[in-house]
Amino acid sequence: MTLGFAEPWALLLIALAVLPWLKSGQRALAYSSLALIPADPLSVLLDRLLRLAGAAALLCLALAIAGPYLREQWVERIGTGAHIVLLLDRSSSMNENFTGKYLGARPHESKSAVARKLLSEFVARREHDLFAMVDFSAAPIYVLPLTQDRQAVQAAIAAAGGRGHGVTHIAPGLAMALDFFTGRPLTGSRIILLVSDGAARIDDETRDRLRQWFQETQSSLYWIYLRNPRGGRLSEKPANPNESTTPEYFLHQYFQTLGVPYRAFEADNPEAMQGAIAEVERLENLPLRYLEKLPRREMSTWCYGVALFFLLPLIAAKAMEVNSWAR
Amino acid sequence: MIRDWRFAALLTAAILVIATFARPELALPRNVYRYMFVLDITQSMNARDYHAEGLPAERLGYAKEALRRVLHDLPCGSEAGLGLFTTQSVQFLFEPIEICEHFSVIDDVLAHIDWRMAWAGNSFVTQGLYAALRDVANRDPGIRLAFFTDGQETPPQTLRPNFNGKPGEIRGLIVGVGGTRPTAVPRYDRDNRLLGNWENADIEPMPVSTTDYSEKVEAQVLPREGVYLSWLDEAHLRELSATTGLDYHRLEDPARLSERLRDAEFAERRAAKTDLRPLLGLAALLLLLSVYGSETGLRQRSR
Repeated sequence: MTLGFAEPWALLLIALAVLPWLKSGQRALAYSSLALIPADPLSVLLDRLLRLAGAAALLCLALAIAGPYLREQWVERIGTGAHIVLLLDRSSSMNENFTGKYLGARPHESKSAVARKLLSEFVARREHDLFAMVDFSAAPIYVLPLTQDRQAVQAAIAAAGGRGHGVTHIAPGLAMALDFFTGRPLTGSRIILLVSDGAARIDDETRDRLRQWFQETQSSLYWIYLRNPRGGRLSEKPANPNESTTPEYFLHQYFQTLGVPYRAFEADNPEAMQGAIAEVERLENLPLRYLEKLPRREMSTWCYGVALFFLLPLIAAKAMEVNSWAR
Repeated sequence: MIRDWRFAALLTAAILVIATFARPELALPRNVYRYMFVLDITQSMNARDYHAEGLPAERLGYAKEALRRVLHDLPCGSEAGLGLFTTQSVQFLFEPIEICEHFSVIDDVLAHIDWRMAWAGNSFVTQGLYAALRDVANRDPGIRLAFFTDGQETPPQTLRPNFNGKPGEIRGLIVGVGGTRPTAVPRYDRDNRLLGNWENADIEPMPVSTTDYSEKVEAQVLPREGVYLSWLDEAHLRELSATTGLDYHRLEDPARLSERLRDAEFAERRAAKTDLRPLLGLAALLLLLSVYGSETGLRQRSR
């Protein structure tokens, strides 16, 4: 139902609208013999009308007090934007700054702090996007469903500021992120925005499964890789390739075989990360069907207006009322 | 000529109604609450020792349902954040946000909280609680903490960490979840298939530490065999409550928890704009009623 009441109890007051039919609200005057007065249809009509006005005024006032409103409504619109799952690395290495040193004293420069600040700005700029959020370290954590609730997304990004824990376990995080899209109609471009500073080996079976899910859901993958300056580059083959020492390189190779749009951005300083986010913004401006929330519409002013409309004839009638026969 | 008092009543009613068009508001102080709810998601919270009709039997499920009811009961304008505890640390999912406007999101996230989100299996309640207090203090000491746990340290602790915070700086509640009777803890695989119960042999004892920064405690030694048993360790939680200045509440009934959390001592007075129109409307309505309500008199007098 789209109609709601701020104070539903006040609806009980509507019952009072019968009162004008029971009582006249006028001063009674003594008259020697009512039987002498002929029936007067005009008087009867006038009486009925005044009672009606009184009842209507009571009814409208009761309704107005109850505070009727039209609930907020969602209207579908077409704009540009995307469905974005933020997949955030919360492993303990995210507490380090970009030179790889643990930062106790200056937390604002840690990778996680830089990532949070930029993501928060990104979310603020992307008006029509829907965001979901998954944190991952050893296990993925469902943080937010796909939502347009900006404040909730910002609160979740702000909360990611606490200390991270444990190791990077990337595959379950990707699976949970893809799960937001599985089995849902495609209503806009889908992005998984992975922000991490490391990688981990993914076994072959899981690789195949993830590849299949990426293709089924037609999701694109953007990887913002917060590189330690001494760490390996994604595109350069390491001197002695080994999945346990340079998993990033192998993960990058694997992502390129997903069969869906994939871009990796290496960010080894805050500016590079900003550039990477700007790039994502530029790329993902495809038409998107999104819902816009129309705020709740207050209706009680109308009720007060109508109540006033019925009060006025009552006042007029009262002003003209005969108070006594002897003038 | 003195007009009928009814005329004055009607005129006043009309003036009151006209006054509503100006949308008068008054900033009245109101009790609201700002809570960070932290749920223990270690596996002992999977123990099934609640037996209330219509409520989940597992400790975690029961705590989630209770929390859900609390969110319904808190007045609009209150804020709630959610966090998880496992091992020795906490992770906040989102900072407190207003509960009425964001209810659907908060409810959805709460429903998805699951023991499988744990990033490790151990449960060092003391350290977790201290971490939660530190984290809240770093964000905003005005936020109240409600920490849901069964209080059981797994494996049993050999050391007690020191509390470095100020007792009572962060207000709030330790909510004891579970029953005091020892109960087996079910063991599931990652797909939530039941594997059996946790055995004592599965739980590695704490390594013996020689650091002296924390107080040594007599470790309870688990037998090497048998089923691992878990219960609400109230003595431990009361001790933590005394150390940290948080209050202790045992979760036995969601309604009682909700009442406790809405206690005035945890409230914050915030000026909230109150719409005065219903008051004006009510006054106008009463005036109009008085016009009809008072018996017109003559008939009684003539009798």
